[in-house]
Order: sequence, then structure tokens, then C-alpha cells
Amino acid sequence: MGGGHLLPVKRWLGLDLGASFVKAALLSDGRLIDGFILPVSGRYREVVAQILETIETSDLAGMGITGVGVEGVDLSAPRFSEVAAHARGVNLFFPHVKTVIDIGGQFTRVVRVGPGGKVLDFIISEKCATGSGRFLQIMARILHVDIEELGRLSFEATQPVEFSTNCAVFAESEAISRLAEGAKPADIVAGVHHAMAAKVEMLMKRINWEPPVAVVGGGGQDKGLIRAVEKKLQIEVVVPPQPIITAALGAASLASLDVTSRARDYGADF
Amino acid sequence: MTATEKLKKIYGERPKRTRELKEEGRKIAGYFCCFVPEEILSAFDLVPFRLQGNPKDPVDQADAFIEPMACPFARSCFNQALKGNYDFLDAFIAPHSCDTIDRLSNIWFHNRPVSFNHLLNVPHMRERGAEEFFRSELNYLVKCLEEWTGKKLVLEKLRETIRLSNKKRALLRNLYELRKKDPPPVSGAEMLEVLVAGMGIPVPEYVNLLTQYVEEVKSREVKSISLRPRLFLWGNAIDDSTFVQLVEHSGTWVVMDDLCTGSRSFWEDVPETSDPMEGLARRYLNVPCPRSNYPRTGHREVDLESRFGYVGAFVSSWKVGGAILYLIRYCDTCELEGPDLKDYLNKKGIPVLMLEDDYSLTTLGQLRTRVQAFVEMITGVV
Repeated sequence: MGGGHLLPVKRWLGLDLGASFVKAALLSDGRLIDGFILPVSGRYREVVAQILETIETSDLAGMGITGVGVEGVDLSAPRFSEVAAHARGVNLFFPHVKTVIDIGGQFTRVVRVGPGGKVLDFIISEKCATGSGRFLQIMARILHVDIEELGRLSFEATQPVEFSTNCAVFAESEAISRLAEGAKPADIVAGVHHAMAAKVEMLMKRINWEPPVAVVGGGGQDKGLIRAVEKKLQIEVVVPPQPIITAALGAASLASLDVTSRARDYGADF
Repeated sequence: MTATEKLKKIYGERPKRTRELKEEGRKIAGYFCCFVPEEILSAFDLVPFRLQGNPKDPVDQADAFIEPMACPFARSCFNQALKGNYDFLDAFIAPHSCDTIDRLSNIWFHNRPVSFNHLLNVPHMRERGAEEFFRSELNYLVKCLEEWTGKKLVLEKLRETIRLSNKKRALLRNLYELRKKDPPPVSGAEMLEVLVAGMGIPVPEYVNLLTQYVEEVKSREVKSISLRPRLFLWGNAIDDSTFVQLVEHSGTWVVMDDLCTGSRSFWEDVPETSDPMEGLARRYLNVPCPRSNYPRTGHREVDLESRFGYVGAFVSSWKVGGAILYLIRYCDTCELEGPDLKDYLNKKGIPVLMLEDDYSLTTLGQLRTRVQAFVEMITGVV
């Protein structure tokens, strides 16, 4: 006996097959050790194959998947809702957070989180792009700027544009006519952030949110949007280091907890 | 063929059975919602046909007549009419249930009239004065039907159709009672199909099928204990079982409902009053559709209890662990009442998932993620 050796540390893979991107996270010993993001346009199978080629899979202990694309791949891995995956992923970084806002490419989700990352309640935006990342994509396109630039640009705003519509499609034509009238792109972007923050606030109120609050998803990378949300809620929010891969991380973590055997007992075929 | 198979076939092929009846010389009376007494239609030897939409068939004609931002269920129903799928109707009776059905019926009468077209005025307030008003509206419906058919209403025949419809209701309540078992011998999706199958055939035929079906269900072997959460479903017209299947495939049982294609359509009997029109008026006026109003005291708790008390009794008797409120988009009455019901159920410790859908099977993926997250939450598996 004696002279103990280190056991190889198990790695867990989480995949989040989102509307705009496929996100992958590798978890080991409760920590995020690697994460990457690939654009997707419905080609989930190809992108997943690409990811599985990139990483060393021989020593993988297991995998968990989440996201709108789970129906499009035939992986024999446990599936989790984005809601549970985000709650769990955020909990690994910020165990004290009670409300998670996920601003994704298609939907915005607000999750109330209990101890251990348990989902207490959640709400998902309806088929409407104003509260989602799609709104930012539309605006980036008509302003001819990179989506990554929107946050920085909004800090140059002096008179944010008020949007009189709640619809992203109509807001597009509204933004174009404002530009024609001479509004600054920065003021338009700040106006978009305000409109989105207002949508987020409505979802928050509907489920009786509590601080502390974390923002994740692609929207978490937009500092201007974060500032607008903070202003609306009158609190400071926390954002994990790579907010876009939180759900992937959560899926990896949930897979490591082996909750799926329990889920099977319920007869769920997800 | 067992009654289970027969009912499944009638549901799956609907409205084939109704068309057959038409070819046999029966007259078919289409109607909307839960406010048109089938007993009156049956007493005139008409086959009552509850109008349905088709969520599998996208609306491609109705938009030329109705704004796309109108109730997608109503648009789907009218779309079916425009495509000739309701050409077997002899009569069409629209109640003033909600403004959409009221106004749609005008468009329908004008563009696709059938032999007998009638708007039944239904008062909004559930109280005594309204009952008298509604009774005279039902008398007016009878008068119009007498003129159209050339036959006088025979009161004894009406009493008989009331007794038979009450028998149908008792059989359906009996089936719902069996769903108190865990696991239930009938899934929510199957129950819905059985109900919808009965919405286009004569009541005596349905009563015969149900009588056999109840026996078949009673003799089913129920599997071992179930860990699945038992859900309650609230909403309006769900006349396709796909959504309920989705909910149950996510690892649940739908054991009780307050849907206008479910318990709301049959739960209460028609009282056998000396003037049958009195019992009919009282029973049909009090259908708890969100379009109706009820006298209020001004005390929120009391008013919520008088509106939703029956739902409270349903969820406790059927041991429900979660509720899904399934709202059809642009249904103002549902969308405005939903938050009150959510509040009422939450206070009873029942978690609630509110879903908004546009009466189309193209959005199933989005509904699935919401249902899945809800099931994860209430079972505590993650």
C-alpha cells in the first residue's frame, strides 16, 4: 500500500444545440475546462460530428445534450431542457444566483433557481423576436456593424431612440426611417437595448424574480444590453466568463449527476 | 371490432361517419361551442355535429375573409368550410359564445350559407335574469327549427332526448372517475379521442358505444404503480389529440381537464324540469366558459372560489400535481382569465405552465421544450 496515485479525472461533455450556434463544454471535477462554439444553420448532425472529431472522446465519462436541435441528432445521450441546463450551468459559477436570464438567438428565458440549481419556475418568451438575440442580428445588419460591436457602440449614444412598436420586424422599418431622418446608429442601438430590456423586465415580473440575477446566452456578451437590463431592474447583474456556453456546461453537469435513470422511471421519452 | 377500436376509427376518420349518416338520409346540424343544446337538435331528428378545425391543415383560404390576427381555431374551422369539407351540413347554429364566433358566423352565413342558418344569442352574465332571457332565445331557436323542418316540437320527445344525453354524461363521468386510479386505465389522449368521436354521431349510437367502452376500460389490466406526475389541462377547443400525446410522452398522465371539448362539454346534467326548456336554459347558460361572467362580491378570494371552485375540486379529487393552461393565441377570454386561474392554482400549491399556441402542429417543437422543462421541474429529476 502507500504511494497512492492520482485517479484519472473524468471528463463530461455537454452540447447545446441552439438556434444560432452549437455550443460544447467540457466539464471535469465540477469545472469548465474547455468550451467552443460553432455556427449552425440547421445542420446539427454535421456540426456535432465535427465536434466529436475535434475532442478526445475515448476518456469521456458521458455526455448530456440540450437545445432546440436535439430532435435533429440521434445521439444516445440524456436530454435536458435548456431551462434546467442554464439553471445548473449558472449554479456552478454563481451558487447564490436566484434568477437566470438567458437571451438566446430565438427566445428569452427567465428561470428562478433554488438551492443546487433546481428549477423553481420559468417563463419563455413567445414567438416574438423583440426580446431575443434575433433583434440584435437584424439591427446589426441594417446598421452594417458586427454584432459584437453593438455593445460598444451603444455607449456612444446621446439620445436613445424610442421604438413605438413591440415587433422586431416593424422596428426594422422604424430604425431605417430614423436613420433616414439622421439619427445616429449609436442612438438606434441604445434604443434597441432599451426595448429588449423592457421585454425582459416583463418576463421577470411575471414570475416574481428575485436578486441576485445572472445573464447568460448570446445576449450576455453585449455589454450595452447588460447595462440596459441593469438600469431597468435597478440592480447589478453577474455574467459568467463565457455566457454563451452555460447551457452546454449545465447539460454536462446534469449528465454527470446521473439524473437520467430517475427520469426514465417517470416514463419520459426525452 | 371492440368499442375501443370503433371509437378510435370514428375519431381517426372523422367526419366520415357523419357523411355516411347524411347519405343514409339524416339531416346534419353543425354547431359551435358548448351552448347549443344537442337535446333540441336530437328532438328534431337532426344529427348534432360539433364543428371542429384541423390543426394539421394550414389555413390557406380563410385569410381572404378574416384577419390573420383572429382566433386561429375559428379561422381553421371556416377554412374547412371554404374548402368544402363541411358540405354535408343542413343546418348551422352559431351561439354568441365569444365575439369571434359571433362575427365569424355572419361571415360564414353570408359566404357559405346552408339550408338553415341561425345565431343563438347567449347572455354573458350567469344569473337568473339571464336564464329567462336565454330560455326565450331557446324558444326562438325551436320556433325557427319548426318552421324550417315543418314539424312541431314534441315535448315528450325532448324529455326523452334530455334523458338520453344525461345518460351519455353519466357514462363519460364514469370514465373520468376511472382516471382517478394511478396509473389511469385511459390516457388523456385516448379520452380526448373518445370524446371527439362522439361529437359527430347521433347520441343513441354514442351511448351504445360508450356503454361497451366503459366495460372494456374496466377490464383493462393496469400496470404496476406509476411515478408519473398527474396533470390537469385547462383551455378551450382541443379537438386533436397530438398535443395531449406530446404532454404524456414527456412522462406524465393527463388525468383531468376543463376543456370545452372535455369535461366542460358534459359534466353537468340537464335538470329534468316540468318545462324542459327551463332545465336546458339553466344547464347551458352555466357552462363555465371563460367568455361568461358571474356575479361578484368584490372580495378576490371569494370571487376566485366562486369562479374556479370546481377546478379546485377537480385537482384535489384527481390528485393532480401540475396544471397546463393551454391558450389558443388571440383568445382574449382565455388569455385574460388564465392569470387568475394560475394564481388560484398556485395558492393551492399546484405548479402551472401557461402555454400559448396557434392551433397548428407546426409549433410542436417549441411546446415540447416548455413541457419538458415543466416536467423536469415538477418531478424534481434535475
